[in-house]
Formats: sequence, structure tokens, C-alpha cells
Amino acid sequence: MTAIHRELRAIEIGDAALAEMRELAPSLVFAMIVTDDGFELAHAPQNTIDGGRFGSMTSSVQALSEAVTRELHIGSSGYVVIAAENGHVLQLRVPGHPLILAALFDNYETLGKALSISRRCVEKLAVDLPDTGPTIHP
Amino acid sequence: MAEHVILFTGPMGAGKTTAIQTLSEIEMVSTEASNTERHIVDKATTTVALDYGEITIGTDEKVRLYGVPGQKRFDFMWTILKERARGMILLVNNDAPDAIAVALDYLDSFRDLVESGSAVVGVSRRDVSRYPSPDDYADAISAAYPGTMIPVFSVDPRDAAQMTTVLLTLVATLESRSSVEEVRS
Repeated sequence: MTAIHRELRAIEIGDAALAEMRELAPSLVFAMIVTDDGFELAHAPQNTIDGGRFGSMTSSVQALSEAVTRELHIGSSGYVVIAAENGHVLQLRVPGHPLILAALFDNYETLGKALSISRRCVEKLAVDLPDTGPTIHP
Repeated sequence: MAEHVILFTGPMGAGKTTAIQTLSEIEMVSTEASNTERHIVDKATTTVALDYGEITIGTDEKVRLYGVPGQKRFDFMWTILKERARGMILLVNNDAPDAIAVALDYLDSFRDLVESGSAVVGVSRRDVSRYPSPDDYADAISAAYPGTMIPVFSVDPRDAAQMTTVLLTLVATLESRSSVEEVRS
């Protein structure tokens, strides 16, 4: 079976979801959809950030956050926020798929709106993406 | 209580996660993700941040075991973890293409630990590929790091006795180095 990040149809769906996200949030600096192990499915806008490195870091941060929730027995991880001086990064899983959305917003966006737009994006992806079979989240 | 932080490094599929699972007295903390590179290494999951386990040596010596992701694209985790490490166990799967070059490449990425003599090499999957031999690794490492002693073992990461021997060798090396440094100061 071809890995999802190499499937043309899945890449097109990812690109469309990120384009819609940018329309809804002008403060979106960069967004990326990556596989659980950090490979890029789609990113927007082009040529702004080293996507390879950001993708790998997204994968590590997601796995660490899920390790913490497992360790503390507090259920599944809803989202991850990294709040910094000049922006914030939000990470969410795409339900039912081995994919993660990571989005960098500048400080002109409230965290609430950023979260709402990011949730809308992953929910749309969950519906639109082809079924990839069971996902492995140890 | 004395404490050591030991890193397990090496390529994907060398047995780092298994080795920590074998040694750890606590339930290992793992950060596994679905592996989409199964055409490169045929395993269902891969470590994307770290593995963590603990083992007590003697009555009061705690060893914290950290496994790093094998893939270079996660090398930011190598940088984070090596800053706190006192020693390193490099595991190399002997069936990798040009396994000795792979070993030297990983040693180079953790050069500070290697040059201070705080490293041990474990060659895994020798049941799949007999050669190169541990002596071949030792010769290549000696040539690359003249004057530095890096012990090389043939290991099965699933074997607790073998992995304990490797770990105790490294811990003994670290302790003897500390003693020498204390005498000098």
C-alpha cells in the first residue's frame, strides 16, 4: 500500500484544506500536514519555513505529548499549544488518519480562533481523505 | 544515589527500543509512530522522540536509559539528549549495507562522547549477517579514533544478560574515568 503522503489525491485534499485555512485566518504564518512519523503531506504557504525539519519536530512533539497523557492516564491528547512571544503553534491529530496538522499563527490571532480554525481543518480532512486503514498509536 | 544518563543511538532497526525494553525495571516510556518508510526498514513503528527506561545497579546507582530516534531527520532530539548524557551505547544492525560506515557515521555525530571514551558499540543481527565481525568494527574505530578505547560487543538486544554486560562495561568505564579525574583534581 502506498504511504498516504505519496498519494496524489490525498495531497490535493491536504492542499485544499490548508488553502481554506489561510482564507479564514490571515494570521496563519505556516501550516503543515504530516504523517505520524513526520513526512509531509502538504504545507502552505510555499517557501517560508524548512518543512522537513518542522515536520520531524511536529512528529516528536505530538508523540511526546501523547506519552505524557498516557503516563498520567488523562485520556487522549486533544491538541498541543506552544505559546511563544511572537506567535503560537497549534498541533492536532486528523481523526481516523495517521496524520497531524501543525499550524503557526502570529500574535494577531486569538488562541481561541486559531484553535477553532485548526479544528475545522482536521475535521474536514477526516471526512475528505481516503480511508487509510487502522492507525497505530501505541 | 549516583546517577548516570546513558544514550542508546544507532540506525532505525538496530534494536535501541528493544534494548531499553529489555533492560528497564520500569515500564518504558515510548514515542512510537506508524512507520511510513517500510520499504527501507520493514517494521510497523518507529521512535520519533525518545524512549526512556531506568535500571538500578548495585544498591544505589540509578541508570537512566534514553533511546534516540534512529533517523537523521530527528537529529534535533540527538542534540537535546546528548547534552545530558554521560555515556552512549551505539547499536548497529550488522545486516545494514556498509554497516561499519554506518557505525562510524553515528560515532561522528556523538563525537564528544566517543572522544572522551564514554561509548560502547553493540553489533546486532549477527544471526542474519555474520560479517563484518566485531574485530572489523574495532579496527575501523581504532583507525578513526586513535588512542581511544571503544569496546565492541556482539549483542542480541532481546537478551537481558548480554545487554547488561554492555551497560555495566560502559558504567564501569565512566566510573573509572571519574575516579581518575578526582585524583587529578
